[in-house]
Amino acid sequence: MLALQLLLNGLQAGAIYALTAVGFSLIFGATRIFHFAHGSTFAIAGYVFYWVFAVRQLPLAVAVGASALAALAFGTAMDRFIYRPVQQHQGSFFTVFIASFGVSIVVQALIGMVMGRTFVTVSTPLSASTMLAEGLYVAPMAGLAVVTALVFFACLGWVLVRTDIGVALRALSHSHALVRAYGLDPQVLSRHAFAIGSLLAVPAAVITACTSGLNPSIGNHAMLISLAATIVGGVGSLKGAACAGMILGLAENLSSWKLPTEWSEAVSFVVLFLFIIFRPSGLFGVEQKR
Amino acid sequence: MAAYLTNIGTLICINAILAMTLNFILGYAGIFSVAHALFFGIGAYTTANVALHLTHSFPIAVVLSMAVAGLLSLTLALPALRVRGEYFVAASLGLQVLGQTLFSEWKAVTGGMGGITGIPAASVFGLEVVDRLPFFLLSLVMLAAVAAAIAAIVRSSFGRSLKAIRDSESAASAFGKDVTAIKTMAVVVSSSLAAVGGTLYAFYISFVNVESFTFDTTVLVTAMVIIGGTGTLVGPLVGAVILMVLPVALSYTPFIPQTEIGSVQQILYGCAMVLLMLYRPSGLVGAPGGRA
Repeated sequence: MLALQLLLNGLQAGAIYALTAVGFSLIFGATRIFHFAHGSTFAIAGYVFYWVFAVRQLPLAVAVGASALAALAFGTAMDRFIYRPVQQHQGSFFTVFIASFGVSIVVQALIGMVMGRTFVTVSTPLSASTMLAEGLYVAPMAGLAVVTALVFFACLGWVLVRTDIGVALRALSHSHALVRAYGLDPQVLSRHAFAIGSLLAVPAAVITACTSGLNPSIGNHAMLISLAATIVGGVGSLKGAACAGMILGLAENLSSWKLPTEWSEAVSFVVLFLFIIFRPSGLFGVEQKR
Repeated sequence: MAAYLTNIGTLICINAILAMTLNFILGYAGIFSVAHALFFGIGAYTTANVALHLTHSFPIAVVLSMAVAGLLSLTLALPALRVRGEYFVAASLGLQVLGQTLFSEWKAVTGGMGGITGIPAASVFGLEVVDRLPFFLLSLVMLAAVAAAIAAIVRSSFGRSLKAIRDSESAASAFGKDVTAIKTMAVVVSSSLAAVGGTLYAFYISFVNVESFTFDTTVLVTAMVIIGGTGTLVGPLVGAVILMVLPVALSYTPFIPQTEIGSVQQILYGCAMVLLMLYRPSGLVGAPGGRA
């Protein structure tokens, strides 16, 4: 029964990880920008939702809307005011990573100052667990997490395959030069990638706020998981990132069947470490030239 | 006041050792490790165990800590040989998280979350180093030794091979350089020298636990290197001094409440990192324009 409970917890965590990871993977795949501050997008979205819904007591729809707006604004501002200027004169991996890293430090410290450093959770009627069977507890939120993930992936799939922007984004991940040759502007496309990627962090952040709660370093955790899932899944493959996010969520939770819970995060990173050494191209990735 | 100054001086020395050794692989070898705090920790835990169970001789503790950290750094060399850039950042991050978990869970060796307490004072060739001033002098000597070692290595042919690999791995191997051996050596040297900082720290504070060796420490040391300037000898030193003096300066600023100093400090160095990348990627000391 414990195994079944952990499996359910794993599915919920996995759905959230998959959503966060796909956003990061989309940005990284299309623009090749190592957007370390994606974790900050997640934290901002979560805390805006918490503040509007739980502190100011405004309706749920307003809170989710504000959260989405904040994530969108932060993501596109990062692209416009940090990455583009940095890439204009010093486009190396190093400078982009450090700039992004710096922003994430600032965001984490600011959240700690403004919202406090303790854990906060938003309690909703859906967060309460009900007992399905002896020793098996499920909250409706878990189901909602999985359904939300599936709905968002379906929408994303439709955007990427059926719309012009989606097709252009997929083209961008193959060749900047060719995209330019077709008369498209890589900068505009990069803005779209950041917008869509940042929006994908919103549902994950909102569900996290309602279930396991937020603290100022939640962004770091979200970032680490996204990074791990993107690499394990294979850079450039959104399907890979989603599957890997799910696998990591399951692995973290199922590991506490045999190991103390303190080890759950380490388990994810052992998986990541082994992948980098033995299969750097990931589950679905194409062989990288590097 | 004198005790206060020697305290800051000692902490600057320890952090400068960390910054210089991180800069050695980051700035000269182009290996972007975010697991540096781990080797600091390995040095500190080794020293704590040596001092409690074997001997409180400082030279022996230094040698043993360096040996253990050097040996364990092969786990970092492994991904460094296979991948670069973001993949290596991810791999070293994985190592950092795993190491942190081991520090807090392997109770027999690390004392778990509670850590190891009651580490005896260091003794250098029979001389007990108990007071703060002699300890500060000892730290200064160790910092000078580490700096001299790094300066000598960087100027040697090995140092030139490192820079060649950083700039182009295939060109270096075309010139007959053994890329595998050189990279492995760089990681081992950097990690074992970082352990010297760990030895000093364990003897100085006489208490170690996982709190001092987390990802936050890596972030702080990385900020020191970046702000000072990568790929220069003085840069990390300057960065360490600035970032260690900053909280002191902030605590004398009247309008910042004491509880917020940590956050204000993080905001300041986070902003500094972003602004430097926008306008001066080589850091305060590095040559403007050139990415070191």
